[in-house]
Amino acid sequence: MEEVRDGKVERLAILFERHHIMLFNFFLRLSGNRSTSEDLVQEVFFRILKYRDTYHGQSKFIVWMYQIARNVHVDHLRKQKQEVPLDAQFEEPAVAETPAIERLSAEVDAAVLKKALDRLPLRKREVLLLSRFQEMKYREIAELMGCDIGSIKSTIHRAIKELGKIYFELQGGTSP
Amino acid sequence: MKCEQIREKSADYLAGELDEKSLSEVRAHLADCPACREELESLSAIWTKLGVLPKEQPSGSLRIRFYEMLEAYKKGTEKDRDKISLGQTLSYWFGRLMPRRPAYQIALSLILIAAGLGGGFLLSVRSRSAARTEVTGLRGEVDDMRRIVAVSLLKQASPSERLMGVSWSARIDRPGDEIIQTLLETLNRDPNVNVRLAAVDALYLFYDHPEVKAGLIHSLAGQTSPLVQLSLINLLVEIRERRAVEALERLIQDEKLNPKVKKRAELGLTQLS
Repeated sequence: MEEVRDGKVERLAILFERHHIMLFNFFLRLSGNRSTSEDLVQEVFFRILKYRDTYHGQSKFIVWMYQIARNVHVDHLRKQKQEVPLDAQFEEPAVAETPAIERLSAEVDAAVLKKALDRLPLRKREVLLLSRFQEMKYREIAELMGCDIGSIKSTIHRAIKELGKIYFELQGGTSP
Repeated sequence: MKCEQIREKSADYLAGELDEKSLSEVRAHLADCPACREELESLSAIWTKLGVLPKEQPSGSLRIRFYEMLEAYKKGTEKDRDKISLGQTLSYWFGRLMPRRPAYQIALSLILIAAGLGGGFLLSVRSRSAARTEVTGLRGEVDDMRRIVAVSLLKQASPSERLMGVSWSARIDRPGDEIIQTLLETLNRDPNVNVRLAAVDALYLFYDHPEVKAGLIHSLAGQTSPLVQLSLINLLVEIRERRAVEALERLIQDEKLNPKVKKRAELGLTQLS
């Protein structure tokens, strides 16, 4: 990233190849929409280019990148609130429509879990995604979110507990 | 270790970040405390389950779009670099022109401020009068344009276009004789009642034009549609046109006249006299 900042913007391609799938999955779990997620990934890399002068190298690149990613997501939510009528916001996300042929137990399990994740409050979902899927250390998440490591750990604890609760509730609903 | 401490350590336990010592402490506690054991077991069940969620692949267009953006950005920054080097040379030359002593610097800046203020004042006086003539010129041009549009629309075959022509002519600030004539002609000759009615409304805006009043009175005798007759009588009464009395009297004499129009005309006569 230092090289990108110092003018070798073509080096951003390496960072893109290394991180774009992770970022895509991060946004996909947050928004539930593939094309929105692709747009948001694109926006993140655009902002990395635009604000590359503000990268100081004290923190890891990935922390800085997810800071940008969170801002992009917040901006997206704000825009969406202006555009989407109220009732559309409460529609079930796309994951709910699992095709009948895919109703094998493992996939049903994954679908229920995704649905449960969608119901988790944003902050808990973010912390959980970052630690479990983006392979970030709690220390890095704390730095990224601007809070202390203790509160991240307790958020993880509460998030998993809540997720488990929602998950079992949903499961009880699907298989009587 | 207490149950509360176990809860604090659970996040590290799940992520596998506990050192040997803490791990054995946690295990010792779990052996004795069924509540904590159960909680941690269900937490780690969910934690493991999350691992089965498949990683999804974005479509190929994401990569294409990224490289397009990067290319575009590179071109943009190269241009920026040129701009910066030009700026740097400029600032270098300004630096050389600047006197070294602070007293001279202050004097120079005062002179520049005075020159700026004076120049600005002169310019504003000049530009204000220039702007005024420019605005009047522009206004005249817009009026001319509207006139041309209105006249050409009024000559169209479709009634809706002629209606538009009437409404365009109503927007003209100072209509020339041509517009007045065209509107009067529309009022007298147009086969469509709606267009004629719109023409009455448009002419109302220009009633202080001498030709308009005479034209309206003259037109009253020629109209056949009761709607247009009513609207004309209303207009003539509203602008208190005394010369219309004669035309109204003649209208009332007409035996074929619509009774409602007749009533309105009689009322108009009393209002005018």
